[in-house]
Amino acid sequence: MLFNSIEFVIFYILVTALYFALPHAFRWILLLAASCYFYMAFVPIYILILGFTIVIDYFAGIYIEKARDKRKRKWLLSASLVANIGILAVFKYYNFINLNIDLLFQQFNYKNPIPYLSILLPIGLSFHTFQAMSYTIEVYRGNQKAEKHFGIYSLYVMFYPQLVAGPIERPQNILHQMHTHHKFDYNLMVSGLKMMLWGFFKKLVIADRLSIYVNSVFNNPEFHNGTTVVIASLFFAVQIYCDFSGYTDIAIGAARSMGFDLMKNFNRPYFATNIQDFWRRWHISLSTWFRDYLYIPLGGSKTASVARRYMNVFIIFLVSGIWHGANYTYIIWGALHGLYSVVYIIIKPYLRKTPEKRWSAALMRTGNMAITIALVTFAWIFFRANSVGDAFTLIGHFKTFGEMPFLGDGISNFAHSILAVVILFTVEYKMEFLPDKYNWFYSPNIVVRWGSMAFTVLLLLLLGVFNGGQFIYFQF
Amino acid sequence: MRKKTIIQFLLRLAAFCLLLVLSDRLLGFVFSKLYFSQEVGQFHQTTYAVDSARQDILIFGSSRAVRHYDTDSIATATGMSTYNAGRDGQMIPYAAAVEEIALKRNRPKLVILDINAWELADNPSKYEKLTILLPYYDKHPELKTYLSEISPFETYKLYSKVYPFNSSIFILASNALFPASAKKDANGYLPLDAVMTPAFLKEYKGNMEVRYQKIKNKEEKPDQKAIGYYKKFLDATAAAHVPTLVVISPTVIKDPFILDNQEKEKQLVKDIATAYPQVTFLDYSADPRFYDHPEKFSDAFHLNRQGASEFSADLARYLASHFRAIH
Repeated sequence: MLFNSIEFVIFYILVTALYFALPHAFRWILLLAASCYFYMAFVPIYILILGFTIVIDYFAGIYIEKARDKRKRKWLLSASLVANIGILAVFKYYNFINLNIDLLFQQFNYKNPIPYLSILLPIGLSFHTFQAMSYTIEVYRGNQKAEKHFGIYSLYVMFYPQLVAGPIERPQNILHQMHTHHKFDYNLMVSGLKMMLWGFFKKLVIADRLSIYVNSVFNNPEFHNGTTVVIASLFFAVQIYCDFSGYTDIAIGAARSMGFDLMKNFNRPYFATNIQDFWRRWHISLSTWFRDYLYIPLGGSKTASVARRYMNVFIIFLVSGIWHGANYTYIIWGALHGLYSVVYIIIKPYLRKTPEKRWSAALMRTGNMAITIALVTFAWIFFRANSVGDAFTLIGHFKTFGEMPFLGDGISNFAHSILAVVILFTVEYKMEFLPDKYNWFYSPNIVVRWGSMAFTVLLLLLLGVFNGGQFIYFQF
Repeated sequence: MRKKTIIQFLLRLAAFCLLLVLSDRLLGFVFSKLYFSQEVGQFHQTTYAVDSARQDILIFGSSRAVRHYDTDSIATATGMSTYNAGRDGQMIPYAAAVEEIALKRNRPKLVILDINAWELADNPSKYEKLTILLPYYDKHPELKTYLSEISPFETYKLYSKVYPFNSSIFILASNALFPASAKKDANGYLPLDAVMTPAFLKEYKGNMEVRYQKIKNKEEKPDQKAIGYYKKFLDATAAAHVPTLVVISPTVIKDPFILDNQEKEKQLVKDIATAYPQVTFLDYSADPRFYDHPEKFSDAFHLNRQGASEFSADLARYLASHFRAIH
């Protein structure tokens, strides 16, 4: 079920109302049933995959906790991780690996005997698999007690707001909340609804609007000049941010209205002043997952050799690229970010310190932001392109930068796109630099508060794109 | 205490919803006034086509209809009043919708449908773009079938009075504030003035070839719903006994549907048209007077003023010789 559908609005109202109407003892049943229904609205049969990992990890957690022997604990953790990664490998990477074997064999005139699988990628597979893995790892590390209640553990993996696109939660944050009796809280309910409203605005008014221009350029890379490619790439940078963070806002808002507190996933990433800063602000739940479960175990920044540290950083981003999808476009995207990060670590000691004068500091910050956006946007070209060949075709058109851009299907859509970008950056600028001013949604004056919310809803109706566009990150 | 908080929340929510409905009604009223008072531009043209057009010859189609059919030239040659009800960005479902309303109001003497293979190819945007008909739903409930193609909930969304004017704010504002800047149409005809360069055509052909190599092995799947609308369009003229001309107007590349991997769709356009006794089919996509003549085109898809004038004059001659009898 898509968040941006009428079905979801009805679903959300019913589930939330029932949640508060039921006694605490039955709420987990309601949420679990609702989450199953939510997931099965995509491809019903894939619920079995979730069921399989839930059973494996549930028992793995209990036995890891019980086991005294370190080797046994390690073995149990490995079994759980292999099961989870195995599912990812089969459903997400099998055909990609097989395709590469095919290409390799072709070089030697052999026929690859391994058959391809005719399967659809289960929605949000990488998200719930990573969340499930974080549970067994944390139990193994002794940071989390094993969950004995099978239903509650199932809900930890399947909680509908964050089931298909995160945030990828840690058990320490969310699992205990599944046991808590959440009383109806007026402030949480209202704040959750406001967050959902802003999430819908980002998705429908900004992301889906920009997607019209972006799709027409990236799906026809041969026909566009450099100016158009640059505009489409910048639009895509904003589109993917609003698409994903819009989803996250709706997820966090829906959970908050029932009393749950999900982790923050975005923190205005395009105001980052360097690539490290960007990754502290972008998809925080995934970058911290990689930090905690891969980077640090690899040695992190505390390695004996500097080269090893650079390698660790590069590996994290490469794996992050592979996590996004079985395609060389994502691998190149990850490798580019790895390269940016390594270069940044190398040059960081030689960079100028922020000047003391206010205007000079502001200028420097703006320049750094522009460089970061340019680097990130360049990498997005690979992320969005339909193939590596298409990405290079688009980049090849940079030489015609300066020519008259393609304005899309009429100037109206282009103007709506520009307006959407202006609205986003105005709001985010306020949030970044003036956090205590102009908080109209939370103004003590009811006219301002209700007026601003009603205005946002009307803008949504006037400027939104209501074609039910899927969230980009569902495919991961 | 908890119950009291919930009741308080529900009451405030109800009050907010009431405020929202009132603001929606007020803003919707303002937008409706603004929309239906437009005197230039494509909204005005659509309103005229939907609500008023009673000419002898009605032309339907996409932007290629709007830009290719010089109504004055056709009217002069045939002696019949002509209106071009084509619309930028729209395809066959839109043509079928406007035709259905137009035929209920008046029986024209001739209908011309400009169509091409792209319109029968799989492309959901042709249905999404039907949102431009939303402002007319109140007055023309028969549009429900078409609007349901956008989404099954589309007519429910129309409880909002602002929603029908979704995405039209810039055009409304621009036409209201700067009416002089909008091009005035000649009975729906809006020619383009740009001229394609030979270098652009060469590059375009090269790009089409590159693209063809990528898509040539993809299986063509014509859009069955679009085929249904095409047939519906022709069924309607057959039922009203209106002679109909189905035209593939000139293209800058000879038979570009080959490079678009849409030969199946092109054949369907022809086969369906020729199956109707009241229909005459004309194909200009391989006409040497137009293809490879960049000077007659404005861009890859549209004739410019010169090209449109030549094409319309040729069509007018054909109409004068074949359809004068029905005058």
